[in-house]
Amino acid sequence: MSLLELKNVSKIYGDLKALDNVSLHVDQGEWVAIMGPSGSGKSTMMNIIGCMDKPTMGEVLLDGVDISKESSKKLTDIRRDKIGLIFQQFHMVNYLTAVENIMVSQYYHSMPDEKEALEALERVGLRERARHLPSQLSGGEQQRVCVARALINHPELILADEPTGNLDEANENIVLDLFAQLHKEGTTLIVVTHDPEVADAAQRTIVLEHGKVAREVINENFGKETKA
Amino acid sequence: MSKKRMFLRMITASLLRRRSRMLIALLSIGIGATILAGLVTIYVDVPRQMGAQFRSYGANMVLLPEEGRELNSETLREALGAVPETELVGAAPYRYIRLDMTSRQQSFTAAGTDFGEITKTSPYFSVEGRYPENPREVLVGREIAETIGVKVGSDMELTWQPTVLAGESTPEESRVPGALLSGSAEGFGTGIVYVTAQLDENGAIASVTVNAETQTPEYGGLVAEDEAYLAQFTGKTLPLAPGDTDALTGATVTSEAVVNALNSARKASEDAKPKTLSFSVSGILTTGGEEEGYVFMSLADMENMTGSDHLDVAELSVSAGAEQLEAYAEKITAASDAVRARLVKRVAKSEASVLEKLTALVFLVTLVVLLLTMICVSTTMMAVVSERRREIGLRKALGASDQSIRAEFLGEGLFLGLLGGVMGAILGFVFAQVVSVNVFGSSITFQPLLLPAAVIVSMAIAALSCLAPIRRAVSIDPAIVLKGE
Ligand SMILES: Nc1ncnc2c1ncn2[C@@H]1O[C@H](COP(=O)(O)OP(=O)(O)O)[C@@H](O)[C@H]1O
Ligand SMILES: [Mg+2]
Repeated sequence: MSLLELKNVSKIYGDLKALDNVSLHVDQGEWVAIMGPSGSGKSTMMNIIGCMDKPTMGEVLLDGVDISKESSKKLTDIRRDKIGLIFQQFHMVNYLTAVENIMVSQYYHSMPDEKEALEALERVGLRERARHLPSQLSGGEQQRVCVARALINHPELILADEPTGNLDEANENIVLDLFAQLHKEGTTLIVVTHDPEVADAAQRTIVLEHGKVAREVINENFGKETKA
Repeated sequence: MSKKRMFLRMITASLLRRRSRMLIALLSIGIGATILAGLVTIYVDVPRQMGAQFRSYGANMVLLPEEGRELNSETLREALGAVPETELVGAAPYRYIRLDMTSRQQSFTAAGTDFGEITKTSPYFSVEGRYPENPREVLVGREIAETIGVKVGSDMELTWQPTVLAGESTPEESRVPGALLSGSAEGFGTGIVYVTAQLDENGAIASVTVNAETQTPEYGGLVAEDEAYLAQFTGKTLPLAPGDTDALTGATVTSEAVVNALNSARKASEDAKPKTLSFSVSGILTTGGEEEGYVFMSLADMENMTGSDHLDVAELSVSAGAEQLEAYAEKITAASDAVRARLVKRVAKSEASVLEKLTALVFLVTLVVLLLTMICVSTTMMAVVSERRREIGLRKALGASDQSIRAEFLGEGLFLGLLGGVMGAILGFVFAQVVSVNVFGSSITFQPLLLPAAVIVSMAIAALSCLAPIRRAVSIDPAIVLKGE
């Protein structure tokens, strides 16, 4: 079943076509990687899928709803209810502790629940770091908190923009393992990355070039590598 | 955890854990609130302070004798009964006479007064040396002191030349032995008995003539013709003591009147003599006003010199507003038939106009401080929003509505206002106290209403100052969190 469908989507900044007539579809529960050189339109696409921007042309269907023409207030609601975001720069509220950062997400979504937030931290292996401020956490730990924050409201879709771009090998693997778990639980994942290793973990890789889908690669080895 | 608690945790954490910038905002609100609270405290207290201050610029009411009536210590005391003791700062009696300083061929105005009261009604009097405390001490105005060249500790001989009132004895004649003394006294049935005594060269009585027309002819009237009775006065010296002379049988009251008339004639002649007393200068007075041309002495010394306790005027310093003052003046005038009260308009009026100007000034300063505080808080909050752009973008990306962002920043602003207000109320009171003690020389009491008022006002200021920064925060695009920075 299709969760996300882009139909002839373009995003134009002046003369520049950041996205040029892109069509794409992602099934429920799929794990998709998006690759491409810098400036190829990856973040632009993430912004549109993540309900933070609207395309200049084309339709974007998320869960059957066309989000390309919604008001920004409606987009906020959709983003809050359906999407979990993970960023390259981690982005935590720097004066709140790890567990509080997760509770912020709960706060906007529904109800802050410290117990549940602590369980999410447990899941990313940071239960004992719950009361630390971001400045007291390593980059990898911060990103794991961000993963915990992204999954706390059980979103249908997790969007990650270069989630491992600033991480060392060990933390990259932890994050990828978490993605694999989420995937197994049925969460749809769209992961933007430069890193072929990260892309290889996904079921399918879409390569963008100059705002266009250059090619699509199905990962034949999906599921095998993690076992090895 | 409830949403409300999470909200409170977020906004307090933002203030308590981020410090630096928020501290600046807090400081501006706190300082603003301090100045305002202090100003308002002083302002509320100022009419009282001003009253006391103006009292130090001199009297605001004078008491004068009614036409043909006598003002003296007694009638003054009666009149003062109309003003509550707590409102009466001081009441200085004055009597003015001309005194000669023969040795310098100078003459000047001397004022008899009560120095204890002067320090209250005219606290601006500046005395080099000290006020007179002992008999025969004078306070000399600077102008006179310079003219005649006296210093603290100098001695000066002052002479009083009485001017004689009509109907009393003739001083020219009474001054030398052999003079004629005339006097009168009340005899039988309120009739007046007139007596004239011729003195010999030694000052003893040579002869006495009596006019007793008002007395009953067959009793008192007889004293005028009874030679034996009149002869007994010859050779006696005035004043006569009881028992010095015998009364005429059947006319005791009239006889007594004759003796009283002789004694009063003698006293009048004594009083009418020029009197010279030596004084020591206890202090030199500087006032910047006409008082510098006067010599001040105690009322007792003046009475000693002139033989009368007459007063010319009393200056009152009353602690009351213009209207109340007028009411007191009317009350005094109505209560006493010997005294009438008048306001010293200059002081009473300027007090009101200064208060008015002060109100305008306080209003203006308040406005300026409010404005400055708002600008300061607003720019700081603006900087805070810029500084927190990514955090705000993140919150929005996580699903925060514009409404939530607004509520959070307003919440932080109000929390700042609360802290600033409490700080302002406390520091403001301290500030007002310091100002009051240093400028007005009196302490003030804490107004309990100050705390909630300061808190509400600074919360309102903080909220207003946050409007523009909030608008900026709401306009932040959540997409920035996906852009590498
Ligand atoms: N807000 C914008 N205004 C103008 N140009 C933009 C804006 N956002 C992105 N671009 C341009 O669009 C192109 C695609 O950008 P982006 O999607 O960020 O690329 P990527 O994430 O693949 O590096 C780039 O050339 C970038 O300069
Ligand atoms: Mg990018």
